[in-house]
Amino acid sequence: MMRIKADLHIHSTVSPCATLLMSPKNIVSVAKAKGLSLVALTDHNCTRNCPAFFSLCKRENLFCLGGAEVTTVEECHVLCLFDNLKIIMEFGQYVESRLPDVPNQRDLFGDQVYVNDQEEILGSVEKYLGNATSISVSELCRAVHERGGIIIPAHVDRPVFGMIAQLGFIPQEPFDALEIYRNNKSAAIGAEEKYPLISNSDSHMPDEVGCVYTAMEMPEISFINLKEALKRGAVFIERG
Amino acid sequence: MTISEMTKLTELTLVQKEFEDGVISGGYTSDLLSDVIANAEANNILITIQAHINTVAVSKLVGIRAIVIANHREVPIDMVEAAQKEKIALFSSTLSQFSLSVLIGKHIHKQ
Repeated sequence: MMRIKADLHIHSTVSPCATLLMSPKNIVSVAKAKGLSLVALTDHNCTRNCPAFFSLCKRENLFCLGGAEVTTVEECHVLCLFDNLKIIMEFGQYVESRLPDVPNQRDLFGDQVYVNDQEEILGSVEKYLGNATSISVSELCRAVHERGGIIIPAHVDRPVFGMIAQLGFIPQEPFDALEIYRNNKSAAIGAEEKYPLISNSDSHMPDEVGCVYTAMEMPEISFINLKEALKRGAVFIERG
Repeated sequence: MTISEMTKLTELTLVQKEFEDGVISGGYTSDLLSDVIANAEANNILITIQAHINTVAVSKLVGIRAIVIANHREVPIDMVEAAQKEKIALFSSTLSQFSLSVLIGKHIHKQ
């Protein structure tokens, strides 16, 4: 049984709030330097940086997942993770199509650019990605599980966009885990016995990658073994 | 103002009719259910866009007798069923939270 370090919540250049320094190339380089073995790219309502991220992770022999941090209609942030790039890109289209038609304001929210593995800009997303989609938490659970992914409400204990603030308590849904915010040292969320708890960096700046991670015990790194580790509760929040 | 009197307001559509009638003493307008738990009062009407089954559970917890879902938001079926079970009146409206607060506030304070 090996013990690996996983950071499953990382933003890149396409997220409205992330710095342009968060190219997939930089993220992979910092993740390697910090000894992470499993990383996931989770931009706000968008998967367009996943192809570059997957290509770089493959080159660097770093196990990766992709997906998005989706804002549901209830304004909860929810991590949706998959291991198959084709499914990730189709899922990204589904999520973007459910955003309201509100254009991004670059001076306020940044350029929302997506890049290739050489850090060359391929384009920018016109819609403002920080908005809430029209997808409910229930619908999102079905959409993710139908596609073979895992669904983890993000920073459930944060006062903004956290599920407990938005919905009062964690609703009865088939979540694969709950994410505790990285700065919360003593999480008491009233659902610890029902769901495994993890924590991630939620990084928007390169030096934040891996500042908090979840150690996981598994025979070897794979998506199936990650799912099993969550089911067994073989996950431990640690600080980098 | 009672809930049955409230059903006569043309701006509101009653989507869950099996409620326990009673006097509405005041209202609370919020979309954050943690805030509703902390600050709303028993016998309030809740005005919100948070169309989720948890809104019913939180209302039950606080003693809220009626919920209005504002701004054309679709009311999910599990929310309607939960409200029916808890005998909480459930309305929908095309008006915003602000307009509903003004409208309902006027009716409550008139009496």
